[in-house]
Amino acid sequence: MVGAFDYAPAIVLLPFLSFLVALAGGKYLPKGGAFGGIAATAGSLLLSVWVFLTVSGGETHNDTLYTWVAGVSEETVSLELGLLLDPLSAMMLIIVSLVALLVHVFSLGYMNDEGETGLPRYYAGLGLFTASMLGFVVADNLLMAFMFFELVGLCSYLLIGFWFRQEGPPSAAKKAFLVTRFGDYFFLVGVVAVFATFGTAAFAGPDSFPHIAELAMPGGESPDGAVNTFGFDPRTWFTIVGLLVLGGVVGKSAQFPLHTWLPDAMEGPTPVSALIHAATMVAAGVYLVARMYGFYALSPTALAIIAFIGGFTALFAATMGVVKREIKQVLAYSTISQYGYMMLGLGAGGYVAATFHLMTHAFFKALLFLGAGSVIIAMHHNENMWDMGGLKEKMPVTYYTFLSGSLALAGIVPFAGFWSKDEVLYEALVHGLGGSTLLLGAYAMGLVAVFFTGFYTFRMVFLTFHGEPRTETARDPHGVRWNVKGPLVVLGVLAATAGLVNMTPVAEMLGMPGIELLHKWLAHGGIEMTTSEHYVTLLEEQADYHATHLSPLVPGLVSLGLALAGAGLAHVLYNVPSPERHTDKLGAIKTLWYNNYYQDELQVWLADGVVRPLARAADKFDQGVVDGVVDGVSSVSLFAGGRVRRIQTGIVSNYAALLTLGLTALVLVFGIMGGWFV
Amino acid sequence: MIIEALIAVTFVAALVVFVAPDEVAGRLAAALSVLPVLGSLYMWSSYDAAGNALTGGSVAFETMVPWLELGGYTLHWHVGVDGISMPLVVMTTILTSLAIFSAWTPIDDRQSQFYGLFLFMEANLLGVFMALDFFVWFIFWEAVLVPMYFLIGIWGGPRRKYAAIKFFVYTNIASLVMFIGFAALVFGLGDSVSSFDLPAISRALRGGELGSLYGVSAETLKAVAFVAMFLGFAVKVPIVPFHTWLPDAHVEAPTPASVVLAGVLLKMGTYALLRFNFTMMPDQATAFAVPIAAVAVLSVIYGAILALAQQDLKRIVAYSSVSSMGYVILGLIAYNTYGVGGATFQMIAHGLISGLMFMGVGVIYNTTHTRMVGDMSGMADRMPVTTGIFVAGAFGYMGLPLMAGFAGEFFIFKGAFASTVHASMPLFTAASMFGIVIVAGYLLFAMQRTLFGPFRLDTDYEVTTAALHETVPMFVLLLCIIALGVDPGLFFRMIQDAVNPLVGGGLP
Repeated sequence: MVGAFDYAPAIVLLPFLSFLVALAGGKYLPKGGAFGGIAATAGSLLLSVWVFLTVSGGETHNDTLYTWVAGVSEETVSLELGLLLDPLSAMMLIIVSLVALLVHVFSLGYMNDEGETGLPRYYAGLGLFTASMLGFVVADNLLMAFMFFELVGLCSYLLIGFWFRQEGPPSAAKKAFLVTRFGDYFFLVGVVAVFATFGTAAFAGPDSFPHIAELAMPGGESPDGAVNTFGFDPRTWFTIVGLLVLGGVVGKSAQFPLHTWLPDAMEGPTPVSALIHAATMVAAGVYLVARMYGFYALSPTALAIIAFIGGFTALFAATMGVVKREIKQVLAYSTISQYGYMMLGLGAGGYVAATFHLMTHAFFKALLFLGAGSVIIAMHHNENMWDMGGLKEKMPVTYYTFLSGSLALAGIVPFAGFWSKDEVLYEALVHGLGGSTLLLGAYAMGLVAVFFTGFYTFRMVFLTFHGEPRTETARDPHGVRWNVKGPLVVLGVLAATAGLVNMTPVAEMLGMPGIELLHKWLAHGGIEMTTSEHYVTLLEEQADYHATHLSPLVPGLVSLGLALAGAGLAHVLYNVPSPERHTDKLGAIKTLWYNNYYQDELQVWLADGVVRPLARAADKFDQGVVDGVVDGVSSVSLFAGGRVRRIQTGIVSNYAALLTLGLTALVLVFGIMGGWFV
Repeated sequence: MIIEALIAVTFVAALVVFVAPDEVAGRLAAALSVLPVLGSLYMWSSYDAAGNALTGGSVAFETMVPWLELGGYTLHWHVGVDGISMPLVVMTTILTSLAIFSAWTPIDDRQSQFYGLFLFMEANLLGVFMALDFFVWFIFWEAVLVPMYFLIGIWGGPRRKYAAIKFFVYTNIASLVMFIGFAALVFGLGDSVSSFDLPAISRALRGGELGSLYGVSAETLKAVAFVAMFLGFAVKVPIVPFHTWLPDAHVEAPTPASVVLAGVLLKMGTYALLRFNFTMMPDQATAFAVPIAAVAVLSVIYGAILALAQQDLKRIVAYSSVSSMGYVILGLIAYNTYGVGGATFQMIAHGLISGLMFMGVGVIYNTTHTRMVGDMSGMADRMPVTTGIFVAGAFGYMGLPLMAGFAGEFFIFKGAFASTVHASMPLFTAASMFGIVIVAGYLLFAMQRTLFGPFRLDTDYEVTTAALHETVPMFVLLLCIIALGVDPGLFFRMIQDAVNPLVGGGLP
């Protein structure tokens, strides 16, 4: 019988088709090819739902679809592309295709209605972006994941640099690709190392590399030396490989220190920002760690590093979000910070918690960006929050949906972000208390960041929507249509309710573990060895992660209290008719935060102050010394020197004739000697 | 006989074009250049050989007739193709034909001679890749230099004479060094071979039949010959530090010549390294693994850093070729299926991609009359199609998956990391891979400054959109690059088949 899995390749191919259509014929299509994109992503969404339902019936799919490179001899490894459809990827497919569909619809309002040119290029880019991300999500091996990871990077380049006639966007696009490429370098070394170590890069199944790694651990079933660990003991080598792959994750998911591309990427059109931040590029990094969690679970060192990068990034980015003036900049830093939480969750042994946060964040961050886009349309493309104020009455739909997203971002009960962020922190706490004390440091950073998050989120809300309008534009904003409001409403509802699928504290309180649907979803029915249950076992056996039993209520109340405190402070300071620039009182700290800890200056200095002079010096050396020797040898030699002089003053065709004659003569002599012409 | 026909048709086409009037020479050459393309595609489609031509595998379209006797050695007219040479032949005909189309705009002087020399060069290049007798091979090998010398020296830029002579003398001296090395080997083999037949020599050398020569032990002789031949071919590739002729030649050469110079002529060096050094003396290759891997890494990183410093678009692409050829060397020294096979695949991939990049630079130059990064900005506004193809090509160069460059580089990295020739190979591999970051750096910076931003041009020319005969060849190349990226097996299957016997059966 033909089932959902037979149609699953179309999930990726439909948006790809819309890319081709928009690229080739967008000029002749209404709305620059937008409808093709909408139809394609809607189709992907429907098929994803079908796949989701099939997976929830207990079926999974893990099979090769296309042999990219076939090994001719038996011993040569074939490189394949295939589909891995299990609870994790089925869930992610719905998130990606839903957000992509809403972004396409929203673009009608943001791009078409605003009279932008170059729409076919825009919709082609969106289509390819969606297709690449969907391809990444269903990838059944690390090489395929890398390939689509790179295509995602290309699409971000094309879309961030969409307005190529200005100075800013091409520069931001270049930075995004280059910084993430730096991370991808480590990723690619990791891919190659995985092949060299295991001879396969498959994610799931008995012949998958996480499973082979598991068996090769001390005490595992494989004999010593079953895999090539390059002279290291297995755990050390797997840690190294895991950290190499993590390089790509840090780049794409904008974790410290490779986060600097993300705020610049705001130069792209706002719907693209929504897509990048919520469901595609940035999500790809975290998703990859979740996808191969069975491998990371073998290495406590790698996990601790992931947790610390995450905790630090969550706090670090949140502080910068406090002082930004532009609405999209605040959101950009909030994205970095929120992905920090996901990394913290993964590193702390909270596989389900991190995946949960990935899902809720996708909804509320897409919502916030689209809401910001709606505000930007209304403000005639002015993004400075200090020029806004009082938009609440003028645009109620945008306001209430944006508020829903903000409550979720700040982590206020019962909005989606509360449940997921709380669970991430809870996992860090219980595993920290359970013996992995290092995690407590990461937990502390994450906890402090909650306060900052509450503050900057509501500072943004109050400055944008509350108080008196501070400019003419804010007094008389540009209206938005259904194509903007529709996606906002859908996401607004999701941001409010998506957290209900996994209310761990409530389940604990009522003694009803049955309502933790996501836990059940990721634990049940998956492919053996990629279920969350197996990961818990692995964490305990291999990484020595043990959860203390602790009621989730108290930690939940603590983080809720901090979020409310942050939001409350913002309320006191900014929810007034004419707010002042209170952050100025921070003095030097504000300058430091506003300038992003001078991270960008550091990178510019690296490029202009180190790499460029180095390249110029190398060029001088090459011209002067390496080539100088060549020229020197030729001019020292009298014979060569004389010949060069003669040719340089003579006529080239003379030399031509000589050469040709000489060659002909040579061939003739040999020909006659060999009796060719007899 | 198809090989003889292919070479002969190309020679005749060269002659016909040479005597044709200038006005029609371009069109005539383009039309005639399609014949070798069809011929090579026919060969490719009916290719049925298996194994490596030099280690006893079957050879496709083989001809072997005694030609003449020379000092006790029989010279044969011996030609044929196997899985390593077949893809190179196809790439040569396609790239040359497309380069001829792209020459219509820039070449406005002595056209019949230009196109005649161009086709003459193609015929010799085909000969290099299909010859299986050293003597025949060497004639073609040397004869390639002559037309290229004139193409640079007559139709080149301001310093064309310096560049042409540097190219000619440098590579010729290198050929001499190589020739001496090879001759020593043949004499060292003594009575075990009585011809310059490459398969016979290869089998004898691999079979350990090398004897001492004038009191020099077989081992020393082999090592010296290996080094001499390696140095000789290294200039051609070029491998750092023998690369300095290349940027000069590229900058001065007319763009269509650059296309073939980077696309095909450089591959002569790597092809010969594979056929001679790595096929005939695998033990020496392994013994020299560390220094060779080191120069490979040096070529990749140093070449890329030099590309970073350049302001001339053509120089950027020229140095990037040095970098890409470093990968090929790394793949060869890895000495396993993915390494050597990847190196061969990368020869094709780089040929197509660098050809596309040079064409792109040429199209921009034709309308702006400058190649300096600082002289222009925002060309995308005026030349959208060219920009689109250029950007696609640049990402191909950066190794974007599903394009040929990624396949080639990934095979090499995969092979080299897992290579067993020396314990340090993973480190060399990881070091050379950093080239993928630097290449993104210089290409993205160059594109940002020339193609994007507000439109500005510092020369007094009206920017016009490119003609069809300029964009269509680029588009065709792009399609080839994508086709090979999506299905590398188009070539990689026969490449593996020819490489496996070298590296001792299939290896992971």
